[in-house]
Amino acid sequence: MAIAIRSLQAGKKFSKTLKQMMLYGARDMAAAVIDGGRVPSTNLRLGEFWAVKDVSFELKQGGSLGIIGANGSGKTTLLRMLNGIFMPDDGQIETRGRVGGLIHVGAGFHPMLSGRENIYINGAILGMSMKMIRQKFDAIAAFADLGDFLDAPVKQYSSGMYVRLGFAIAVHSEADILLLDEVLAVGDRDFQLKCYQKLNELRRNGATIVFVSHNEYSIREMTEHCLYLCKGSPAFFGPSEEAISCYLKDVYTQRAAIMSAERPSVGASKAFIRGLCFRDAAGAVVESVDSGSPLTIDVEMEFKGPLDHAIVGVNFYNEEGLVYGANSSYEKVILPSFAPGRATVRISLPRFDLPSRNYRVSVSLAQGMDTDFLDVHHMAYSFVVARAKDARGVVKFPTQWSVIRT
Amino acid sequence: MRINVYEPNKVFKLGLNVWPVMVSELWEARELVVRLFIRNLSARHKQSLLGIAWSFIVPFVAIGTFVLLKRAGILAIGDTNVPYPLFALLGLTLWQFFAGGISLGCNALIEAGDMIAKVKFPREVLVLASLAQAFFELLIKLGLIAAVCVYYGFLPPWTAVLAIMALVPLVFLTTALALLLSLANAVFRDVAQVVMFVTTFWMFLTPVLYPPSGKSAWLFALNPMTIFIQVPRDLFLYGKTADPLGFMAASLGAFILFLCAWRVFYLVETKIPERL
Repeated sequence: MAIAIRSLQAGKKFSKTLKQMMLYGARDMAAAVIDGGRVPSTNLRLGEFWAVKDVSFELKQGGSLGIIGANGSGKTTLLRMLNGIFMPDDGQIETRGRVGGLIHVGAGFHPMLSGRENIYINGAILGMSMKMIRQKFDAIAAFADLGDFLDAPVKQYSSGMYVRLGFAIAVHSEADILLLDEVLAVGDRDFQLKCYQKLNELRRNGATIVFVSHNEYSIREMTEHCLYLCKGSPAFFGPSEEAISCYLKDVYTQRAAIMSAERPSVGASKAFIRGLCFRDAAGAVVESVDSGSPLTIDVEMEFKGPLDHAIVGVNFYNEEGLVYGANSSYEKVILPSFAPGRATVRISLPRFDLPSRNYRVSVSLAQGMDTDFLDVHHMAYSFVVARAKDARGVVKFPTQWSVIRT
Repeated sequence: MRINVYEPNKVFKLGLNVWPVMVSELWEARELVVRLFIRNLSARHKQSLLGIAWSFIVPFVAIGTFVLLKRAGILAIGDTNVPYPLFALLGLTLWQFFAGGISLGCNALIEAGDMIAKVKFPREVLVLASLAQAFFELLIKLGLIAAVCVYYGFLPPWTAVLAIMALVPLVFLTTALALLLSLANAVFRDVAQVVMFVTTFWMFLTPVLYPPSGKSAWLFALNPMTIFIQVPRDLFLYGKTADPLGFMAASLGAFILFLCAWRVFYLVETKIPERL
């Protein structure tokens, strides 16, 4: 299969302040006119930084690539470079085919004009000919599904309607390469599903897709390979699943570092947590179990003196927040008094049914009240729930099948 | 299959082959120019009570003021041989195309900042769409000129047709300046202010609302705009012009300036998105 996008050591410089931006801008423009052909300097000038650096990858025609990374890691800049909006300051980017950028849907929409008028304008901006827009007009209007609002000025649109119209135009522009930047975050679930279906359809017809998103599920759903950018440089490039793990691991580590700064100091406390470990059905220490299989969690603690009314909690987080917490107080379990020395609290779960993905795990020890913490290891541990064998989807439940004849 | 290769300073590596690329890219984007022009036009008149009537009101008031000042004896405007309002209207129409064109063009890039940062298309279409708007205003005013001709019973000589040809150099000059100023304005926003300021005073120093006579003829000779305004107007009103060779030279100059400006714009446009 032919290569659709090839990026070779591509890099882009930005200035930190507006003043430097203006100054360098004027200088670069003047240099472009007077001193053309000069090989550009890949050195950084004062106040400049690499927004994107050393990005290399190849994407086959019909393939799909996800770009993930924290805010400000250069995802959108890279997407704009692939689109040819930003010229690389270093390296080379090659694209084969018509590129349709959805860096921002509805760019060029005029708020005073109706949706109908804006379809023509936006279509023209995306490189569609008048004839092509006329042919596709009904399909676009049907996809956007705006009803009477099609003839209302765009400024009266909700943000969701705006995205729907913009997306509808873009997916009908017959681009060979689609660049999508978090465009679906606004639309409602129904529309998102419709979009994913449409994108899959386009891919089956040979379109290549590059996809920037913070949504782990849509990245998994839409892409086979992912590029994880960290401060403009590629930190990982490979199968989406691994790239996401790599990214989340970094996110959680950073968050844990911030949280641990707020931790009560160990020496001052009457008791502290020594550690946490996970065991599978056989009792072996593991870092991963299949969704739906048994799990044992051991919380090891050390007490400096005798302790009553201890409360132990173990919380599982994904990046959206708390997913599951085992907590002795919530579950009305009264733990026995602890004598000075070490002790382990064991939590056994006959079936651990969390959806398959990566989790960060917190463990806390409190006394009397839920919030009177003696020690907290916030998101200090990671745990992977793997996809159960023969599972369709991210969880697997025990089922019984029967046939009722009527 | 379209293959795009982006690398630092790619445009320079093309050398002279850049011209066919420039022309073909612009040709491909011709529909976009039309669309953007229609967009600007309909958006402008959408929430306006008087709409297109504004194109008539402004010259009407400006010329009315000058007629008043002339009658009151405050301004001594030389003899024009034709009704003064017709003379002034022609001058003002041409000037407003020039001044309006460069000030609209000058703002074209920054007003579309969002679009430039997010969509790839030849940036010159924005400037050209603005110029199309200025040209559209000029066409509307031709209607006004026709009405004034009828009112005064003035029949233009057949050479009035040549006057339309003589507009072409003015169009090239305006386009050239609009392209260059839009780039400058993208980096330094002061440029738009300067353009407003300069065009206002420049008009008074150019024989727009008065004939170029009197002691300061040397001043008009130095002013490059004199010839671009005067020649089309002379051809329309009198059927002849004093300095056809000078006009041809100036026209050639305007055309060369246009080519240079376009080339500069093409070289620099890739650097615009990151500077907006």
